[in-house]
Amino acid sequence: MSFGKKLNVVGRRLRKVDGLQKATGAAVYADDIKLPRMLHCKILRSPHAHARIKRIDFSRCLEHPGVVAVLEGKEIPTRYGVIPWTPDEQALAADKARFVGDEVAAVAAEDELAAEEALELIDVEYEVLPPLIDPAEALREQRIKIHEGSKQGNISKHVELSFGDVAAGFDRCAAIADETFYYEGSTHTPIEPHCAIGNYDADGNLTVWSSTQIPHYVHRELSRVLELPEARVRVIQPFLGGAFGGKSDPFSLEFVVAKLSMKTGRPVKCLFTREEVFWAHRGRHPMKMRFKVGLSETGRIESVDSKILIDGGAYSSFGLVTAYYAGQLLTGPYQFGAYHFDSTRVFTNKPPCGPKRGHGSVQPRFAFEVALDMAAEKLGLDPIEVRRRNFIGENVKTINGQLITSNGFLRCLDLVEKASGWKERKGKLGFGRGLGVAGSMYISGTAYPVYPNEMPQAGIQVKLDRSGKVTIFSGASDIGQGSNSVPAYLIAEEIGCDPRDCLVVVSDTDLTPVDLGAYSSRVTFMLGIACVEAGRKLWAQISAAVAEKWGVEAARIEGSLGTIFVPETALSMSFKEAVRLAEAKFGTLGATGSYRTEKLGGDYRGGTIGASPAYSFTAHAVEVQVDPETGIWTVERVWAAHDCGKALNPTLVEGQIEGSVYMGYAEAAMEEMTYLPSGLHRGPSLLDYRIPTSLDTPELTAMIVESGDPKGPYGAKEAGEGPLHPVIPAISNAIHDAVGIWLTELPFHPGKLLRLLREKDKPRAPVPPVEERISAAGESRA
Amino acid sequence: MLTLPPFEYHSPTTVEEAVALLRQHRGQVKVIAGGTDLVPNMKHRLFTPAHVVGLKAIAGLDRVAEEGPDIRLGAMCTIAQLARDPLVQKTLPSLAAAASQIAGPQLREMGTLGGNICLDTRCVYYNQTYFWRKALGFCLKKDGTVCHVVQGGQRCVAAASNDTVPVLMTLNARVRAVGTNGLREIPIAELYVPDGIVNTVLAPEELVVEVRVPRPEGRLIAGYQKLRVRASIDYPALTIAVAAKIDPADRAEWIRVVVSALGARPHLVGGLERFRGRRFDQGLAAEVSQVAYRQCHPLTNINVDPAWRREMVPVFVRRAFARAQLSGSGYFEKEGAQRTSDSPPPPNTPTQQTR
Amino acid sequence: MLGRPQKILISLDLNGQRYELAVEPRSTLLEAIRYAAGLTGSKQGCDKGDCGACTVLSNGAPILSCISLAVEHQGDRITTIEGLAHGGKVHPVQDAFDLCGALQCGFCQSGMMISAAALLERNPKPTREQIKEALSGNLCRCTGYTKILEAVEVASGQRQLAELDPRPTTGSPA
Repeated sequence: MSFGKKLNVVGRRLRKVDGLQKATGAAVYADDIKLPRMLHCKILRSPHAHARIKRIDFSRCLEHPGVVAVLEGKEIPTRYGVIPWTPDEQALAADKARFVGDEVAAVAAEDELAAEEALELIDVEYEVLPPLIDPAEALREQRIKIHEGSKQGNISKHVELSFGDVAAGFDRCAAIADETFYYEGSTHTPIEPHCAIGNYDADGNLTVWSSTQIPHYVHRELSRVLELPEARVRVIQPFLGGAFGGKSDPFSLEFVVAKLSMKTGRPVKCLFTREEVFWAHRGRHPMKMRFKVGLSETGRIESVDSKILIDGGAYSSFGLVTAYYAGQLLTGPYQFGAYHFDSTRVFTNKPPCGPKRGHGSVQPRFAFEVALDMAAEKLGLDPIEVRRRNFIGENVKTINGQLITSNGFLRCLDLVEKASGWKERKGKLGFGRGLGVAGSMYISGTAYPVYPNEMPQAGIQVKLDRSGKVTIFSGASDIGQGSNSVPAYLIAEEIGCDPRDCLVVVSDTDLTPVDLGAYSSRVTFMLGIACVEAGRKLWAQISAAVAEKWGVEAARIEGSLGTIFVPETALSMSFKEAVRLAEAKFGTLGATGSYRTEKLGGDYRGGTIGASPAYSFTAHAVEVQVDPETGIWTVERVWAAHDCGKALNPTLVEGQIEGSVYMGYAEAAMEEMTYLPSGLHRGPSLLDYRIPTSLDTPELTAMIVESGDPKGPYGAKEAGEGPLHPVIPAISNAIHDAVGIWLTELPFHPGKLLRLLREKDKPRAPVPPVEERISAAGESRA
Repeated sequence: MLTLPPFEYHSPTTVEEAVALLRQHRGQVKVIAGGTDLVPNMKHRLFTPAHVVGLKAIAGLDRVAEEGPDIRLGAMCTIAQLARDPLVQKTLPSLAAAASQIAGPQLREMGTLGGNICLDTRCVYYNQTYFWRKALGFCLKKDGTVCHVVQGGQRCVAAASNDTVPVLMTLNARVRAVGTNGLREIPIAELYVPDGIVNTVLAPEELVVEVRVPRPEGRLIAGYQKLRVRASIDYPALTIAVAAKIDPADRAEWIRVVVSALGARPHLVGGLERFRGRRFDQGLAAEVSQVAYRQCHPLTNINVDPAWRREMVPVFVRRAFARAQLSGSGYFEKEGAQRTSDSPPPPNTPTQQTR
Repeated sequence: MLGRPQKILISLDLNGQRYELAVEPRSTLLEAIRYAAGLTGSKQGCDKGDCGACTVLSNGAPILSCISLAVEHQGDRITTIEGLAHGGKVHPVQDAFDLCGALQCGFCQSGMMISAAALLERNPKPTREQIKEALSGNLCRCTGYTKILEAVEVASGQRQLAELDPRPTTGSPA
């Protein structure tokens, strides 16, 4: 869209519309809201990983002087879930608790401490059931079922799809890598814990302020579960302190504060502790993956076969989609000769997994990109070269039927090759230092809305005031990526106003048009298209009115940053004057725009999952240094090149690339959701679940590639999730280059690296004997 | 957010007044200095004292000074103060190094030397919320009867995690504490006992007021190395302090090595007397490191692979010696001693390294 | 009603203004600032001193207000993010964070900017390594720290923005 036009706003490094609000501490997040007479809510959670709830007795609890109301599951029993086909959650478990931390009951009290004390006074009788913690065991187990309703054992979703003749493909291969990989679970850890406030007023209207990235789905589910008309429910997303997919399900606390407000007639707030954020989870699924990748003599990818076991945790969440994404999103940026995948998501008695940045595809991407290097090494092929040779191209269909439009992957490879000094340095850095590369592809939104409907996925409304003020109503959820600013940039570009004169009213279901939420990297793409449409409608009116006044053709009129003019003439007026002319001519000014779902995807069951109007592409090169004495590896630098189509604001795009690389690095280096055999998380805190500090995070160089997508707004595609993928396999590949071992299990603990190094090359480092067992008795000696 | 339980707060202005409050409320009172250990522990309901005694209003406990043969360090000196203090940097560089690597910047501004010395031992099964510990079934150290680190263990093995203590032990420091019977001085090596529940010999109403460190004389080198996963915030997964007195003929007069973050008390490596009189070089450091290795047995009380932690003991002992300082400059550099292959401080990035 | 120890009146110099707040002895400084004084710019992220979102200056030193007792700050000079701006102008750190795109979700950034401002107070031209060290107690989950480090370099006059277009901005820099 709009190619060839000189751009005045798009592509510039502008400030965000809300940057200074955040810089000064004025931005209001959910926990910053305090309403008169507000009560505080705490949720009682199951200490058992798997237990039937036999009886809940509130009598002691109700005697606490601070307690105002209590709530249990049978009062709001309707099951919900973000995917309408798998509603298996209850706001408070009415029958069974399915993980340590599962919600069981709630209390509203005069303050937080009173609510916390009152929880201890709730007596719950549990029948403890055997927990299923290991996914392989859960898969085998037929007798114990985590969800009684499951059709088949503890299987949450099984997907098997085949494209082309995989066996014949492998027969043609000159080199095959056949390896098992393990990707450990990780979680989002936004710095803001979940928080919600419910207020049910005397008129029967419910307002919920929530730290959610999906106000629209929360709106729908609140109405359904609480049995209130949708028109009586309002969901407001205040400023949101990070999400990364961790706030894209409806959560217990939203229903609980609403119901407790209905019960008490007072506003009720619930703020999760950090530990509760770990129970809410919905993070990266642990995956055990067997990958077989075969290359022809010339290095063409002839055949790819994967079998993936996905640990889903206790509930479905987006799991149906996860099982598909684990296979469906792998079919670029390379052409596959044949492809088969078999992925199974199983339930286990652990906090539910869900969509963490790069949902479903980060894990198989790691396995595939490492396996690709393994196979290429057998052929003596350079890792960048093998990726170039398999480039799928532009305007092509992938083997699973997804349409790729623009594709800047080769330019991404060129950039990281040059920036890292690959040609001169690869293989020449000596023992302990190495370079690695990897590539990836990701969706810019999904063609398929979460619930089937014919309505737009995103919408925008614009009101023009005769003061020159432009008020934009946007339902999109800004989770830090900058979607509050995108409408100001795009509308200003289209109608010639100064973006500073735009007020963007956001994410309030009573005020703003529906947007499906901040997930699947859909917001900029879809919201952007809606903005362009609304902007064009307004510009038609503005330019027509001005054209009439000046007696020129409307097509000659341009607008830029608050001035409307005819180029190369003296004809010029302020935007405000132009608006007044338009208002006089057309009446009150306003316009809407929307993004409508396109029919896309392969013609088979599940073929629409993974279908996106446009795909982003990324390549990373990584330089590592390994200390062979400690196993400690450090990333010297990451060069990340990302094809985002068009950077509407390069600063914000770089921020997305940098944040993604950081998060991928963190998963490779240290993050892990690990559990005791009982199903209790080992360290649900920001001390024990270690996320990198400024000292740990590698230096990185973000590079933007603009392939100009024909469908995207001004050519834009996604930037928020794709760039997370390659850094992880690139690190593994670089460590291989440095010391000759393949790391196939995340995270890459130094101890693990050291052991592999020893196995590979025993005499290298002078090391102490390890045969002495770690003995408990040793402590008393120490 | 996690709440604090209710308590009465007291703010005495003298040490005697503080001690009297501790005696008066014995069993129901905790002292707060910087609060960096106590407050999280109270939020976890590891302590629910009815009374909390603050020390901020007591004047004079935060001084660093030279007196006679000693360097005097007030118990209320902040960790940041120790790290920055010119006298500490000059005379006790390994202490300054240890202090500068404690936790993160804000915690160093808050935490105190006295607090670090009295730091509660730490364990993955202990430093958790009340809900978590209840789900676990509690543990030996608090509210329960079983040890989850050592199957059938009868003695708590929560880990001493104080970074300053190993250094102070290598430097022969003495801790001064005031109790109901007045002031006493305890060699720091005798302060700790192998009991993770309470790992010091201090009486409940005893208050640490000062640490005295003999001013290093002659060729005394001292070094410090710390292993942790992140380069900030984290508690140690392993701390190593080394010191050696070297005679004019480059022979070791004495060598001390303390390894901590293993069990309930910092471990003074034994049997190093036999190296007395040996030429002090990297080869000797390597031998010493093997002695340390044989004596150290990390447990799963810390959430970092114990087998790896153990293997890092000799590596970090060697590195501590290799980078040990004599009045602000590297001994080996200064003496022109040969670097061996096991003393590479290679990567310039500090990630995951020795902090 | 709840049978708790009596509240204590504390007096603070909060951002240059005198506040008298009645707080329970168990109230953290963060709770006092956010809920009693109503200055919600300081955030809580981890509950217990692990993330740095609650960082404020106490007599000039960056501390974690979520693990400080309010009663222990009687008479102290406390600076929160709301107090960084002076005379209607934002602090250079605040301006640079906005300009450089260092503010994504913004939640950790109140604490981050406080740590950055404290650093520049002590060390007006810090090296990149010193900046990393000074900010290492403030966890950010959005930015990968890159733009934050750049912003501190800009705020300390050590870096010019390469492609800064001064014309249309959507905010007014100081």
